[in-house]
Amino acid sequence: MMSLKKKKSPLEAMAFSDGQIPYEAGRKKASSPPRKAPARDFLLDVHTEPLPARFVAPVLEQLRTGAAKWLEGKAPHGEISVSGTLRHLIVTVKSVSPKGHDKSEKFKGPKEQAWKLPDGKFTPAAEGFARKYGLCAADLKPEDGILYAEVHSKGEASSALLQAMILDLLKSLQFPKSMTWEPSGFKFGRPIRALTCLLGDKVVAVELAGVKSGRAVYGHPVLAKAPTVLKDPSKHSAVLRQGLVIIDPAERREYLLKALELTTKKTGGRTEDDAELIDETVFMVEHPVPILSKLREEHMKLPAALLKLVMKKQLKFFPVMARDGSLLPYFVGVRDGLSCGNALVREGYQRVLEARFNDAAFFLGRDAASTLESKLPLLERVMYQKALGSISQKAARVESLVSWMGSHLRHTAPIDERAASSAARLVYADLVTDVVREFPELQGQMGGVYARNDGLDERVALAIEQFYFPVAAKTPIPATPEAAVVSLAGKLDSLSGCFAAGLIPTGSSDPYALRRQALGVVRILLEKQLPLDLEQALEEAVKLQPVVVPGPGKLSAQLADFVWGRAQSLFEEMGYASDEVRSIREGALKDLPNAFRRLAAVRAVRREPAFESLAASFKRAANILRQAKSENSEPPDRALLQDEADFDLYDALVGAEGAANDRIVRGDFEGGLKSLVAVKPFLDLFFEKVMVMVEDESLKRQRLALLGKLARAFKRVADLSEIQS
Amino acid sequence: MKSFQEIILELQSFWSREGCAVVQPYDLEKGAGTFNPATFFGALTAVPARFAYVEPSRRPADGRYGDNPNRLGKYYQFQVILKPVPSGITDLYQKSLKAIGLDPKQHDLRWIEDDWESPTLGASGVGWEVWLDGMEITQFTYFQQMGSMPLLPVSVEITYGLERIAMHLQKKDSVYDLEYGGGLTYGDLHKSQEREFSRYHFETADTALLSRHFNEWEAEGGRLTALADPLPAYDCVVRISHLFNTLEARGAISVTERAQYVTRVRNLARKVMQLYIEKNAPKAVEAA
Repeated sequence: MMSLKKKKSPLEAMAFSDGQIPYEAGRKKASSPPRKAPARDFLLDVHTEPLPARFVAPVLEQLRTGAAKWLEGKAPHGEISVSGTLRHLIVTVKSVSPKGHDKSEKFKGPKEQAWKLPDGKFTPAAEGFARKYGLCAADLKPEDGILYAEVHSKGEASSALLQAMILDLLKSLQFPKSMTWEPSGFKFGRPIRALTCLLGDKVVAVELAGVKSGRAVYGHPVLAKAPTVLKDPSKHSAVLRQGLVIIDPAERREYLLKALELTTKKTGGRTEDDAELIDETVFMVEHPVPILSKLREEHMKLPAALLKLVMKKQLKFFPVMARDGSLLPYFVGVRDGLSCGNALVREGYQRVLEARFNDAAFFLGRDAASTLESKLPLLERVMYQKALGSISQKAARVESLVSWMGSHLRHTAPIDERAASSAARLVYADLVTDVVREFPELQGQMGGVYARNDGLDERVALAIEQFYFPVAAKTPIPATPEAAVVSLAGKLDSLSGCFAAGLIPTGSSDPYALRRQALGVVRILLEKQLPLDLEQALEEAVKLQPVVVPGPGKLSAQLADFVWGRAQSLFEEMGYASDEVRSIREGALKDLPNAFRRLAAVRAVRREPAFESLAASFKRAANILRQAKSENSEPPDRALLQDEADFDLYDALVGAEGAANDRIVRGDFEGGLKSLVAVKPFLDLFFEKVMVMVEDESLKRQRLALLGKLARAFKRVADLSEIQS
Repeated sequence: MKSFQEIILELQSFWSREGCAVVQPYDLEKGAGTFNPATFFGALTAVPARFAYVEPSRRPADGRYGDNPNRLGKYYQFQVILKPVPSGITDLYQKSLKAIGLDPKQHDLRWIEDDWESPTLGASGVGWEVWLDGMEITQFTYFQQMGSMPLLPVSVEITYGLERIAMHLQKKDSVYDLEYGGGLTYGDLHKSQEREFSRYHFETADTALLSRHFNEWEAEGGRLTALADPLPAYDCVVRISHLFNTLEARGAISVTERAQYVTRVRNLARKVMQLYIEKNAPKAVEAA
């Protein structure tokens, strides 16, 4: 961290504190010999009214790439760097050569024979063409029967190039939202107040949106004294530092983090590591000064999620947490500028937070005054989606899906069906509470708070609280089986409803967050080990939708593919190869936890030396089956087989299948697959000794049936024909 | 320490010194100072505008029976509208804070992105809420559109939340404890209003009468626009907008009805605006 205490010597500081030094005047050395002018540094500092924090970093990146692209091939230059705050967008280019590159351009003209007369003279048209480029017709160069005008020009002065660059760059910047403020109608993120543009010690003169460029630099708007007149780019960041502006975002972040740590030291806790809030703060202040403030004990009784949200989202304050993650009665507000009058600022922070908490407590009290149950009729008036009806209708669908799932899972993963169904009924009730209306992010969490307040069973309260889990890719899933099932039902209903209504995500557009919900479904089934038949469940969910679907079977298949897409990328993220994932696709959605075990088995067995060639033989078998279009699933009849290789393979397969089955039913897919691998030598021998596609129709049929049996046996674990060698 | 009325007086003289006409509140119930014709019509054409005024603002849904120390169903805004926008307007605003006793050096002054939109006026703007030590004390907006039309020249609107500023200056935790002036507190003057109007807005307002009035004033507004007098027609916009707010606070408007009401107010507002621009356009050219 750079210390701000490091002061320039007073003399040095004074050298450019007086705004009147006429740097331009009297500096021309008329008699100096014509020698090569040195390269000079370039500075552009766009001083604006406060830009929204979220605008700054992306715009700085645009400036960096834009300047590099603009200068490429135009003028030799050194390193390009950008920095900035909410009030400064800064580009510097080191060592810009005084002249741009010399240019040679070639313009295509007429055909030589058309514009050149037989006597060798040029037509007037050719003369005219040449004149356009400042040439005589005789200067035109023939090339493959065509005349070209070649124009050579000396490189333009860099100052002229940079003038053009500044205007092009600033006009091309894309802000999330831009505005106009002065008569020219120029659009920018916020009004431009000043343009500091210097090439070495010379101002690069531009005018934009009524602002003329100059050499004045503006520090912090409240704390800095009058603007400083800058001699050349080298002192720019030092001048702003004296004006209490740390221009480098990385340095500001480091300074902030260190200061937060120091400020919270005596509390024994530390501020929450909230990347979003830290990023925002870095671009909300030019010189961060954290102020440790206190929470009133009485407010510590409010739900922690609510406290944190009010602090972070509403007031940009940092909550202070103990080591175990619980809230301490402190918070940190980050002030912009100096620590002068900190006691007053702290008092203000505390008062404003208390006011917000009082408000939240008021809402909470109103919400808790009536039960969740009594709020249900209000859901009839809340629209979920035009084609899909009200939230109340959605809740009814979720409830019936929960009961369907309950009966389907009864024998494999028993859940408290009554608790799940009560939770499903109430799960959307918090949407009409004041707190959730004020803080939509707290949906679910507040439902849990109110459910406990209503004295409901903890299993019900938890299922309501965790209904929207997982809220992000790596955050937890619902903890209990009841919560998992209710959460699944909500997601399956959203997925099938949106698909039925034609709201299918495309490319980057996924307004109903269906990808996240599908990933949630996959994670819940996997992590909770629920053997739910997802294909059936999706069919059931589609049936419940109030939309008439032309081909419900097709839609369920489309949905299944969509969910499988999420499973696939999750598996690949876990390190499984895409061919391994493809090999378990068949039947995977009928039992995802099993599918995952099959996947692990493929991965484990793949490491065995014999596997590679087995996969090759297996592929051969699959090819034969495909070419013969044999979808025959009748078992082979040993008596109708003919050769020894037939019988050996048959017997080996029956034996291996038996052994594999014993293991597979115990969930040992790796063992099962290994048992099956034992048929490999017999399969190889079979391919070596006999032909499958023989004349004898009956024999051919039996051999295809034998290969079919083999394929089915393996497919209980994986379709090895998908594995790439 | 400045009393509530002294804060108003200081702001009025500050902006008067800056060349504003200090006009009076408009005599109809409204939700915000933007509804004062000085701003609504002031922003519409190219005619320069420099106005400052106090505007009583009614937000029926925000009433808390006088129980919540920070929320009021009726309060005061101090509004400044400037067109064209003077350069250095943010510095000028900071100076105005100093004039009422808030030295920005002693406080944390932050400009937080907050764009403004009024669906009922088809209006939008870009700007900030200004935070003083975390408390939002001002809404600062560069108007961009009115009646869904781009505005050029652009106006800037500065709306001071007077009660919040006063609470900060006087270090009061409850708005009712503010020293108003003349030996009275804000509570002396407003507490019973808050209590009774909360009851009215949430419990006792006659919704049949209110919705009938909404329909009647809407029709009257339509009739007046046909007669090409935008100013009386605009009063109808202000009236139905407030009737809508009251009906909503009373819980008499369902979600689907709400959108319809908003559209009805906006349609009338748009007609009035168009009429005003047509009628005043020649003047606008003269001025520009």
